Amino acid sequence: MINILYLDDELHNLTAFRAAFRRDFHVHVTTEPTEAVRILREQPIEVIISDQKMPTLSGVEFFELIMPDFPDPVRMLLTGHADIDAVIDAINKGQIYKYIAKPWNESVLRSMVNEASMLFHERKAVSDQGEVLLHRMQEARAMALRIQRATDQASSLDANQVAEINKQASEINRLLAD
Amino acid sequence: MCGFALSQHRNNRGTHFAVVVFALLSSFSAQAQKFIGTRLEYLPEEYNMDLLEVEMVAESEDWVSFEQLVPNLGMGSGVEWIRLTLDPMTENGKLIEIQNAGIDDLTCFMVCDGKIIASYPSGIMNTNDKKHQFGTYPSFPVPLVECSKLHALFRMQSNKPMIIPLRITGPRKVLEDAHQRDVLFALYAGVMLVMLLYNLFLFLSVGDRSYLEYVLFIFAVGGAQLALNGYGFVIGAERWPWLNLRLIHLFGVFSGLTTILFVQNFLRLSRYVPWLHKLLNGYFLLYLIALVLALIGRLELSYQLINFCAAASLFCIPGAIITIRKGYSPAKYFLLAFTVFIFAVFIFVLKDSGVIPYNAWTFYALPMGSAIEVVVLSLALASRINQLKRESVQAREEQLRVSQLNEQIVREQNSVLEERVTKRTAALESANSIMQNTLNDLQSAQQQLIQSEKLASIGQLTAGIAHELNNPINFVASSAQSLRRDFEDLSQIIDKMKEIDPSTPNLHEEMAKLKEIFRNLDIEFTQREIEELLNGIEDGTKRTSEIVKGLRIFSRMDGDNFTMAQINELIESTLIVLRSNLKDYAVVESDMGADLPMLSCQPGRLNQVFMNIITNASQSMEESGLAVEERKVRISSRKVDSIGQSWIEVRVKDQGVGMSEAVKAQIFDPFFTTKAVGEGTGLGLSIVMGILRDHNAEVEVETEEGVGTEFIIRFPL
Repeated sequence: MINILYLDDELHNLTAFRAAFRRDFHVHVTTEPTEAVRILREQPIEVIISDQKMPTLSGVEFFELIMPDFPDPVRMLLTGHADIDAVIDAINKGQIYKYIAKPWNESVLRSMVNEASMLFHERKAVSDQGEVLLHRMQEARAMALRIQRATDQASSLDANQVAEINKQASEINRLLAD
Repeated sequence: MCGFALSQHRNNRGTHFAVVVFALLSSFSAQAQKFIGTRLEYLPEEYNMDLLEVEMVAESEDWVSFEQLVPNLGMGSGVEWIRLTLDPMTENGKLIEIQNAGIDDLTCFMVCDGKIIASYPSGIMNTNDKKHQFGTYPSFPVPLVECSKLHALFRMQSNKPMIIPLRITGPRKVLEDAHQRDVLFALYAGVMLVMLLYNLFLFLSVGDRSYLEYVLFIFAVGGAQLALNGYGFVIGAERWPWLNLRLIHLFGVFSGLTTILFVQNFLRLSRYVPWLHKLLNGYFLLYLIALVLALIGRLELSYQLINFCAAASLFCIPGAIITIRKGYSPAKYFLLAFTVFIFAVFIFVLKDSGVIPYNAWTFYALPMGSAIEVVVLSLALASRINQLKRESVQAREEQLRVSQLNEQIVREQNSVLEERVTKRTAALESANSIMQNTLNDLQSAQQQLIQSEKLASIGQLTAGIAHELNNPINFVASSAQSLRRDFEDLSQIIDKMKEIDPSTPNLHEEMAKLKEIFRNLDIEFTQREIEELLNGIEDGTKRTSEIVKGLRIFSRMDGDNFTMAQINELIESTLIVLRSNLKDYAVVESDMGADLPMLSCQPGRLNQVFMNIITNASQSMEESGLAVEERKVRISSRKVDSIGQSWIEVRVKDQGVGMSEAVKAQIFDPFFTTKAVGEGTGLGLSIVMGILRDHNAEVEVETEEGVGTEFIIRFPL
């Protein structure tokens, strides 16, 4: 199940949201930004939804706040149409993935969350693959180093030694083929 | 002499009077006086007259005869001697008469052959011993003695001219003449007295000052004649020698003074001939000096000064002529009177100086002239009165004419003015109607401005309200969907329960299955959730309806209709409408007074007032550096009671930037704004002011830069 965090100062919104999506997602809700940060630390949150208009700080400000520590979760801003300037700003700075106008449409919101979750996972997969690739690249580099070293030795080798090297090379090729 | 009644016949009367006097005098002149000045002798100047004794000079050979019939010895402190040689044969028993009553000291010695046989003291000084005297003039009887040479020697001294009209005649003749003279003088005195009393009466009835002066003038002139003619005893002057000696001087001064006063007033010299007026004032002073001289005993000098001052009368003639030329007709009579009088004075003086003969005509010239003068002047006064009457009638007529003219001018001007007023009124009316049109235009423009300002603020509000509505609508709609799903879960259970047959033997199994479904559906959570959702829906509905109600109250377009409204309700509705807008700026703390009375107001317009002031208050703290939750707008309302008056007071206080005095002075001016161009119309507070003025409300603004601003609005109840 997708882990969602929803931050809004309006308690009824939280209730309604949880009631709407608890069957589909693993929903975490809170009215307090500090509580939200705590949840982020403890739960593998994939998607964060925040209301823009809150008394202590705005949604965009909240996102800016958590960016350094939690860059991965996909961020979505829930807003009335009055704050369109803030939304534009937020999108341009790449802080949010989507914005959702109030009152929300449940199915649209659901598909958005799903999309966001997919995005999260895709990103995660890409970043995992990148890591594998990086690892392999490092291995290959080490390998290349060994080959170099072997080549250096090979220049002073006899036939037996050459046969031995060839054997090792084929072994490397096999490894690379994996 | 009948009374000199003032009438149209005055000229005839004057003529009549003159005829009578002329007739009387003619009878005197018929019995021509025979003065014998040529028989008189005087001593040459080498004699010291004061030390002479009668005996020494009686037989002297130095006596010189006079050439005139009436010699004049002049006047002074010196003693003069005269000798008359009498014929003892023919002239004894007769009387020697000197027709001059003005000699101060006169003694007659009868000297028979060098011996004094009789001496007769006479003159003004010797009042006690005049038994020998017949009439007013000194007279001396020639003694009945036999002498070879009989002389009458006269020693005399006087401060007045010693004129010697001397005659020798029988006592009967002297008595007759004295008698006639008394009659004539009585006549004169009668005329003077009549004129005096008559004019006194006129003065008392008319009250004209000139009559009083005239009365005094008559008195003085008459008195002078009295004294000159030796009738001083009539007023008892003989009893006071000191006075008697000065009687002529005093009356002379007095008549001069009164004449000057009378002339000045009668001829209106100060108006017509100012120079003469001043000149006469000078003479007046001289007369006063003469008076003083007379009083201190310088009688000769005084007399000369009085004579000198008599010339003042001469100036009255040109004065009168000038006055006549200037159109003052009573001066004609005056001129006549003075001409006569001066003519008489001339005759008198000429007679005294021996230029013309001394006869009845010349002798009586002065009293006659003065009588004529007095009578004619009386006529002059009458003419003056008539003149004054005429003048006053003329003046009244002139006044009437002027006032009629004025009235006419006023009438004309009135009509001109009326015309002008009509024109001006028309112009004003047209200007007024133009102004009324302009005013109407302005009012409608103002109305439009106010409306557009209101629409603009409503436009601003709409976004906020939409947002405000978004939340409840959002969770109500969402909750409803969730509820449906929860209900589906519950339905599932209910259906399952319906399927269970209570009579089935494997009830226990069924119940276990049901419990399994309960667990799967987490029905307890669902129950809780349903409750929460329902709460949310209820709350959302309530909030929505509150907002809608607030909007409805806020946007009441009552226009100009005054209705009763609860001011707290208005403020709260404004706050509801403003809530989402305010949320970004400030926190509103309200302290609304309980049980405020209803206020007669225009609710829609008052909302505009509160909205404006509250918005300003919240926005004023934008740059205060405070966090939003620390920026507080305090709104309070309460009822204030004072003596005889009570009102509702609404205060809106912020902790914003405040205002300088200069800004504060302008905040209610139209188009004044501290906001950037394009952000505010500058009309908000000016409209607020207009609305509050329509409510008779007072606005007080307390502000301090950097501390905050408080608006205090007081609505009278």
